[in-house]
Amino acid sequence: MDIKAYISSGIIESYVLGLASEEEVSILNCIRKNNIEVEQAIAEAEIALEALADSQAMEMPMQLKQNIWDKLNTENLIPNQDIESTKYREVPSDDINEQISIERNKAIVPFKSYRWAIAASLLLAISVGANIFMYQRNGDTQSQLDQQVSLLHKQQSKLAVLQDKWNLVQNPAIKTIPLKGVDNKPDYRALVFWDQASKAVYLSIEHMPVAPKGKQYQLWAMVDGKPVNAGVFPLDANEDIASKMLDIPTAQAFAITLEDEGGKDAPTLSALCVMGSI
Amino acid sequence: MSPLHNLSEETLILLLKKKNQQAFSYLYDHYASALFGVICRIVDSSEHAEEVIQDVFVKIWRHIDLFDIEKGRLYTWMINIARNTALDHRKSKAIINEKKNQPLSNIVNREEEQDQSQNEQHTKADFIGFKNILDNLKPEWRILIEMAYYEGYTQQEIAEQLAVPLGTVKTRTRAAFLQLQQLLKEYR
Repeated sequence: MDIKAYISSGIIESYVLGLASEEEVSILNCIRKNNIEVEQAIAEAEIALEALADSQAMEMPMQLKQNIWDKLNTENLIPNQDIESTKYREVPSDDINEQISIERNKAIVPFKSYRWAIAASLLLAISVGANIFMYQRNGDTQSQLDQQVSLLHKQQSKLAVLQDKWNLVQNPAIKTIPLKGVDNKPDYRALVFWDQASKAVYLSIEHMPVAPKGKQYQLWAMVDGKPVNAGVFPLDANEDIASKMLDIPTAQAFAITLEDEGGKDAPTLSALCVMGSI
Repeated sequence: MSPLHNLSEETLILLLKKKNQQAFSYLYDHYASALFGVICRIVDSSEHAEEVIQDVFVKIWRHIDLFDIEKGRLYTWMINIARNTALDHRKSKAIINEKKNQPLSNIVNREEEQDQSQNEQHTKADFIGFKNILDNLKPEWRILIEMAYYEGYTQQEIAEQLAVPLGTVKTRTRAAFLQLQQLLKEYR
């Protein structure tokens, strides 16, 4: 329950004015036991009405004090020791102060500590409850946070990969060579980024199935009609990555074959997947 | 005056439970006029108010053992006794006299009523004129507090009389309280 909303609904003021329905009162009594904010709001509203009563006090008619004391007497509401004189009397202050201090010693102290004990156990109960609640909530929040963090990491690494690729494309020294699927694999596509200055070669598999188990894609540079090994595409690479291959000083075309894991010295022409000339 | 000064609520309750005469004196000196003020706003006449305040003290005296400091404030408890006794008294008198219920118009047109009731003895107009902090409240809020607190209307009745939804009664009650608390702060 949203306690702030509950307090600002006006239910507490309705309650202290005697307006709340029975049902509302029983709900309120239940909440105030466990919620110090509500308890405090009730006390504040009550204090306001007390202050209102103070501000609207009316002078009492004379004699009423004696009349009331007499009335208490006639209704037998005064214990014997005080009846000795039915006339209203003022007891010297020493007496009463002594009496108060005696009362304090024998009654208030245990009463007080009892009160503290209740307050303490109530606080303990609230605290234990709150702890369990917070602990559970904390667990939930933590696992949510973990999920978000791992998602964020995934996104970040993906972004980094794309950024690397973007940098390649942006670089004026880089030549981008699209490799297209051969006759029986028309939808295969890959890109070779070839740095004309450093001679570095990067391969990005754009649209090709993941290499089957035990197999690996291998890049070849066609140099003067002869295939030169340009390296294998890493097995664990992210599918979007532009992987750095072997440097190739000159070439007229690039091609990819699907070879046994580790690659071969010469390409298996029947396993040719894509190729593109410069 | 009582020889007792500044008793803590706890001590006062303890002495009241022992039916101590000084405690009665202290109670009377410190709270009677405020309780009387509440009663005067509810009952018809000062005569009735005097009857009621006596009943209230007897009730407090008789039921002090039922008062539980854990569950509330002594002053509030006494104010509620005064208020309920006065409301009951008014209801019983209203039945006896079969008089028409006209409290609403009383509130709405206090001044008018004051003129009208000049020849009616022992009406609430007796008390009009004493300082009323509620007069400084926004009228639509004041009427709500007066109806609820001094007239004993139920929430439902107030909503019907003022032709506003029940929820509005609650939110206005809160607004009224917030302003009242402000006014009381300035008053002190």
